[in-house]
Amino acid sequence: MTDSKKIRVLLAQFPLETHTKGMITVAGMLRDAGMEVVLLGNALPAVIARAAVQEDVDVVGISSYCGGELVLGEKLLALAREEGIRQDVVFILGGIFPPDNAAGLMKLGFAATFPPSAKAEEIVGGIKKALAAKSAG
Amino acid sequence: MTEGKTTRQILQEKETSGNSVPLYNPAALEKIKKDFDGWLKETVATADRENWTATPHNILGSELPRELIYSPLSNPGFDYLGRLAFSGQEPYTRGLHPNMYRGRTFTMRQLSGAGAPEYINQRLKMLLGHGATGINLALDVATVQMFDSDEPEALGQVGTVGVPIDSADDMAVIFKEIPIDKISASIVTHYPRNTAIVFPMYLVMAERRGVPWEKLAGSVQNDFIMENLVRGACEYISPKDSFRIQCDNIEFIRERVPRWNYVTLNGYNLREFGTSGTTEMAVALANGIATIEEMLRRGHDVDFVAARLAFFWSLGSDFFEEVARLRAVRRLWYRIMKHRFGAKNPRSMWMRCHVQTSGGSLTREEPMNNIVRSAYQALAAILGGCQSLHVDSYDEAYSVPSEESSLLGLRTQQIIEAESQATQVVDPLGGSFYVEKLTDEIEEKILNELDEIEQRGGIVEVVADGWLHKKVAAYIEAQQKQLDEGRIKVVDRNYHRAADPKMPEIAVHHYDEATGQQMRDKLAALRQRRNKNQVIKTLEALKQACRNDGNVFAACVDCARADVTEGEMRRAFTDAMGTWSAPGYM
Repeated sequence: MTDSKKIRVLLAQFPLETHTKGMITVAGMLRDAGMEVVLLGNALPAVIARAAVQEDVDVVGISSYCGGELVLGEKLLALAREEGIRQDVVFILGGIFPPDNAAGLMKLGFAATFPPSAKAEEIVGGIKKALAAKSAG
Repeated sequence: MTEGKTTRQILQEKETSGNSVPLYNPAALEKIKKDFDGWLKETVATADRENWTATPHNILGSELPRELIYSPLSNPGFDYLGRLAFSGQEPYTRGLHPNMYRGRTFTMRQLSGAGAPEYINQRLKMLLGHGATGINLALDVATVQMFDSDEPEALGQVGTVGVPIDSADDMAVIFKEIPIDKISASIVTHYPRNTAIVFPMYLVMAERRGVPWEKLAGSVQNDFIMENLVRGACEYISPKDSFRIQCDNIEFIRERVPRWNYVTLNGYNLREFGTSGTTEMAVALANGIATIEEMLRRGHDVDFVAARLAFFWSLGSDFFEEVARLRAVRRLWYRIMKHRFGAKNPRSMWMRCHVQTSGGSLTREEPMNNIVRSAYQALAAILGGCQSLHVDSYDEAYSVPSEESSLLGLRTQQIIEAESQATQVVDPLGGSFYVEKLTDEIEEKILNELDEIEQRGGIVEVVADGWLHKKVAAYIEAQQKQLDEGRIKVVDRNYHRAADPKMPEIAVHHYDEATGQQMRDKLAALRQRRNKNQVIKTLEALKQACRNDGNVFAACVDCARADVTEGEMRRAFTDAMGTWSAPGYM
């Protein structure tokens, strides 16, 4: 990914998620920061994985408030690999989850997690850092 | 929906100020004014004079400007009997009952937590054992969204944020050994469709236990705003269909379960989603008005319909605004019921409400601070005269409440009730120059916002065309900007934030994967043993009811009796009614 290209982000939620405020807020933050946002909304992990490949995004962002993030996160990453997603695509997750699950999500392969109070600069900075780390590694 | 005239226009025609008796006499006002002018000029500093009004910026606040000090001059024509009177008297500003909490304390209704039906049964018994006076049953996200525990969409989320309910059998486990004929149970079915699906399972559970429906007390939410606006989902039916189901539910429950509150107009989740305290109320009132109009159209009497209508509000941190809001909406609902609908039964004019403290005001950085926030939000609810209360837990920003934090919420209520003495005197802030002025201003603002909705064709229309979605999105964006810029100050989050916030030692609720397997096994056994012909027959009848304007709730009761599962009923609704694409927020 080169600097001249806009960062493309797919924002989605797991199928039964009821809360949408986080996703709407983050979509606004990323657009303000000059990124392109594809807002998928609620979808099965398989649908999110396929959309990430088809939309050729650089980042997949999941908003999760209702729990189950470890089970569903693992499934999403596995399905994304099956779909043949680019190696340098970054997965992030934000919302409400038990703090110790953050480490579990990172272990699964998420590049960053964010609490509900995360500021725009933290999320935008976190994404850029994760993308840089991926392209360097 | 609102044929011809808006509520504001009707009130303008019907309310006359002929009997108004101003409290202050002109000579006194004149003297006060003279004194005020002198004080303003000679005693008040120039900077304060120039910044006489300040606009508070707050999480989910209404941004109503406040003066430096209030006095009789803020409200010179103040009419005590017309605008306040005594508690239990029209216009009910000071409270619904003459003796308020001296007669009956507020219902302490803490949410039940998350986990398998067996676990929730224990948790309910724990809360009741510690003095809770009502049940507040939170459903897991699959149940809220009307999916069975064994559908692919439910993977990983069975038993998160509430209890899973697939069939009437699960209700039997949840309420085992709980005296359902004596306790009032709030079943937090957000949407009309899941009210029509889940509440019949409660009724069938009662039937199987031999408890007559006449003895059941409690409430459901049954609010189409929740289904079509507030929630995210992978599947929707149209606002028009949702609204119709909302009214079908009311019709059936009103006739057959007479002590049940068949609709709880839910401002709470809309506000927490992202809107001001006045918009939350304007939307709920607009829905209440539309509902009563529809029931009148179906041939019911206004008092038959309105007597058990209830509201659910979010109470945030702007203390006086929150107290004033409850007083304002109580008066406004009375005015609507009295003058727009000509209600005769006092109960029909009562704005009865459940309050939950604001989850959105709580922080993750130093969660113990949330105990303080929730406690004074709860006090505002009591000073505002609510009927029942849930106090949010300090671990809200981490997970669903642990047993410990849930008990702390209950203890907060008990401390206010037994120790603060705030419940001894009815409407203790009534008569405050400030609170009365704020109450008037908020009432006017709610009425203005209600008028705008009605001008646009009514509540179903503004949801269907996406106007309300956009209003909410704009509010969310504006709030986020104010938070980022530090104009809204939140202690420990963006104001006096610790340089290195330490993660606290709190025992948060973890998702137990065993619950999912347990529920899937139970469903497999249920599908084996039930009468398959009955399942097919009752589901077909439900689809027929959907298509032919039959009462869908009655059809769902038959489904529940035949052990039809939640997901099966959901699919019958969508098969018959079709789906709807929600308008985008962006």
